[in-house]
Amino acid sequence: MAVFDIPLQLWALQIFTGLALGSVLVLLAVGLSLIFGMLAVVNFAHGAFYMVGAYAGVFVFGLTGNFWLGLVAVPLIVGTIGLAVERVLIRPLYGRGIDYPLLLTFGLSYVFIDAIKMIFGKVGLPLSAPAVLQGAVNIGIGYFPLYRLFLIGAMVVIVSGLWLFLEKTSYGLVIRAGARDSEIVRVLGIDISRVWMVVFGIGTGAAGIAGYLSAPMQSVIPEMGIPVLVQAFVVTVVGGMCSLAGAVVAGLLVGVVTSITVMIAPQLADAAMFGLMAVVLLLRPQGLFGRRGLMD
Amino acid sequence: MRDTGIRIFGKRLANKIRGVARHRVAAAIATLVLLPWVAPYEALSVNILLFGLYAVGFNLVFGYTGMLSFGHAAFFGVGAYACGIAIATFNINWLLAIPLGTIVAGFVAMIIGALAIRTRGIYFAMVTLALAQCVYYILYQWSGLTGGEDGLRGVSVQAVNILGLELNLLNPMTKYYVMLVFVALALWIFSRILESPFGAVLEAIRENENRARACGYDTLRTKWLAFVLSGMFCGLAGALYAIHLSIVPIETAHYTMSGQAVMMSLLGGMGTFFGPFIGAATFLLLEDVLTLWTEYWQFFVGALFVFFVLFFPRGIWGSLLHWVGR
Amino acid sequence: MSGDAILGETVLSAHGVGMKFDGFRALANVTLDIRKGDLTAIIGPNGAGKSTFFNIMSGAFPPSEGRIAFEGCDITGRRQHEFARMGIAKSFQITNVFPQLTAAENVRIAVQAMKIRYDIWTPRRRLTEFAAKAAELLNLVGLHRHRERHAENLAHGEQRALEIAMALASDPRLLLLDEPTAGMSPEETMTMMGLITKLAENRTVALVEHKMKLVMGISDRIIVLHHGELLADGAPDDIRANDEVRRVYLGQRG
Repeated sequence: MAVFDIPLQLWALQIFTGLALGSVLVLLAVGLSLIFGMLAVVNFAHGAFYMVGAYAGVFVFGLTGNFWLGLVAVPLIVGTIGLAVERVLIRPLYGRGIDYPLLLTFGLSYVFIDAIKMIFGKVGLPLSAPAVLQGAVNIGIGYFPLYRLFLIGAMVVIVSGLWLFLEKTSYGLVIRAGARDSEIVRVLGIDISRVWMVVFGIGTGAAGIAGYLSAPMQSVIPEMGIPVLVQAFVVTVVGGMCSLAGAVVAGLLVGVVTSITVMIAPQLADAAMFGLMAVVLLLRPQGLFGRRGLMD
Repeated sequence: MRDTGIRIFGKRLANKIRGVARHRVAAAIATLVLLPWVAPYEALSVNILLFGLYAVGFNLVFGYTGMLSFGHAAFFGVGAYACGIAIATFNINWLLAIPLGTIVAGFVAMIIGALAIRTRGIYFAMVTLALAQCVYYILYQWSGLTGGEDGLRGVSVQAVNILGLELNLLNPMTKYYVMLVFVALALWIFSRILESPFGAVLEAIRENENRARACGYDTLRTKWLAFVLSGMFCGLAGALYAIHLSIVPIETAHYTMSGQAVMMSLLGGMGTFFGPFIGAATFLLLEDVLTLWTEYWQFFVGALFVFFVLFFPRGIWGSLLHWVGR
Repeated sequence: MSGDAILGETVLSAHGVGMKFDGFRALANVTLDIRKGDLTAIIGPNGAGKSTFFNIMSGAFPPSEGRIAFEGCDITGRRQHEFARMGIAKSFQITNVFPQLTAAENVRIAVQAMKIRYDIWTPRRRLTEFAAKAAELLNLVGLHRHRERHAENLAHGEQRALEIAMALASDPRLLLLDEPTAGMSPEETMTMMGLITKLAENRTVALVEHKMKLVMGISDRIIVLHHGELLADGAPDDIRANDEVRRVYLGQRG
């Protein structure tokens, strides 16, 4: 059986590739969405945090030789940097107008990129997956890289963990409540500014782990976050800000759409996600899972 | 006493600056006429001139209307490519190629604007960035027309003939003054727009869009028109840039170029007439000076920008005007 | 539409208007008319839905249910900027001006909106009729001496007056005033009520208030909302005598 002269089996494998690609996008979008939903800040340094995550991973790996340790260390390192950034640089800007935190994070991305260049140099650094994750496995429809399966699995675990945290814990409740009405949370005696800090840390930590997880699949260079920022934005526009479900669905959707376009019309692959975004903007400008009038 | 002397000096300086601000087009053009004599080398003057115009165009939507767009590289890039392709591939006269670039950029602004204007607030920045990046990818992939990754080559306009006067554009000074004619015209038009009833509406939208709507202004349509006009100014800058470089690098359409417009506008002073030129000059000078000293100039420019966002959001010129106004 | 309304006498009518915000019901089945030339006051305790109703009447958002008509034409769902052009103007409950523009410019731009919107060429200082009308309006509300001050630097009462001047700029046939005396001192309140009475002489005015005493003396008609529903509708004396209204307001000042 074939569609467009391409066997069904290949379609299925390509869709899986798309899910793997999409998993990285999901992690990015979740972080971006969380930060925006809670702080009303569009983090233009999100791509830079992704890149820092990859480098943090290279650093940790260089120190310990342990890939798995990086999975824990990287989000902590990147998240801590995020905490500091929110506390020191972004906090003074609240109340000044919605554009200022965006502008600040934009400038910050320049600083991050060159800072990494200063520390690690401009040449790409390699990070390889542990031996146990290398190679391919037969998933029924064909052989598929094991690492990519791991990537999808890691995304599911992380997003589920995040969901559980937001839905089932009291701190998560505070975060969700704060997103709706910071007055209520303040009245309850909870220090909302600390919650903002934590949320920014979680969001950037998610970006960092996304960077770390994609590092084995590409060259770790200081500019690796630049195209990623655009992808994260597209996914967030498609899925709708402030929505975890939106980030997941949109991330996977964009991943699959891009992957399939690579197969049938490779020269349009980069632009494919924009087509999707344009359609969403025309038909449902608040995003697939977004709510109307949320941006005022 | 010395104290009063300084105060009097300060007052005289303030009055001078206020006077400049009143006759802004003439003052701006006068400054630009003198620029090549002050600048360390001529290529820098042309860059300041063209990037200044680019930032001015961007400022129409950012500083005056309050819309933060990260997609203006699309207009600069399309203006450059349209003009460049007209000259290099179709042998169209440069005098026609420049307005062609401007109009094509305006057209792209119409499309991007139509998709982006309905999004509110901060969403707008993300959407414009994404849409402009889409334009970048199209230009990148359409290598038959644009040269793709290598950029467009062969945009050579070496000598031009205006009213019988033969001008050699390989001479940097001549090139500067020829381009200044276009920029001066653009600045005059820009000033007229700002002083028109429409210009007042833009500022009202920036101050309080909700209120402007309640007054009876169709703010969506107004913003869209401002976006298109802005795109045309940036397209003109791009078209001139193509002629200046004789090539069009693909980076002119990348979102980092959009970021430059944002930086220049903020550093110089958004919502002021001459601020963007000051911002462009500052940015380009810094880049030049810093690269002599370190290869990590973006670190310092980024840090400076962060500093300005935190402490001097009015920018250099804007802060100066504010101080003078008090 | 009200059964005995004669075309031309009813300026604005609401029929079955309801509003739901994300699960919270702010208004339910409100049907009423605003009659031409009347000074109508909409009162009710806090949370009664008065401001929501006003927002719907001025086009800020469409109702979830029901229809509204202005001078006989159905205007439900029209976009906000069309309302001013139609002849409905509102002054906002939370002061909503252009902060860094001068008071004069605030009003001038409101005046300009009626005539010119897309002229990108004519220098506006040549269009003196707008500035002249703005000066007139500022005089009317007593802000003439503050005309060159930035709106954000005006005192609260002055900002409310500026609001009204801007609302008047469109020469509205229906003027909606949302809590015009909110946050004002007793003297400012008296001045404002005087202004409102003067304005009501030759246009239809509707105002939202929760200080009952203020409006009793000057209104032609009172509408009482409670929990988003229409509680009572009639002349001040009828409302005063209405048992339900007294019960709702029992223990409440104003």
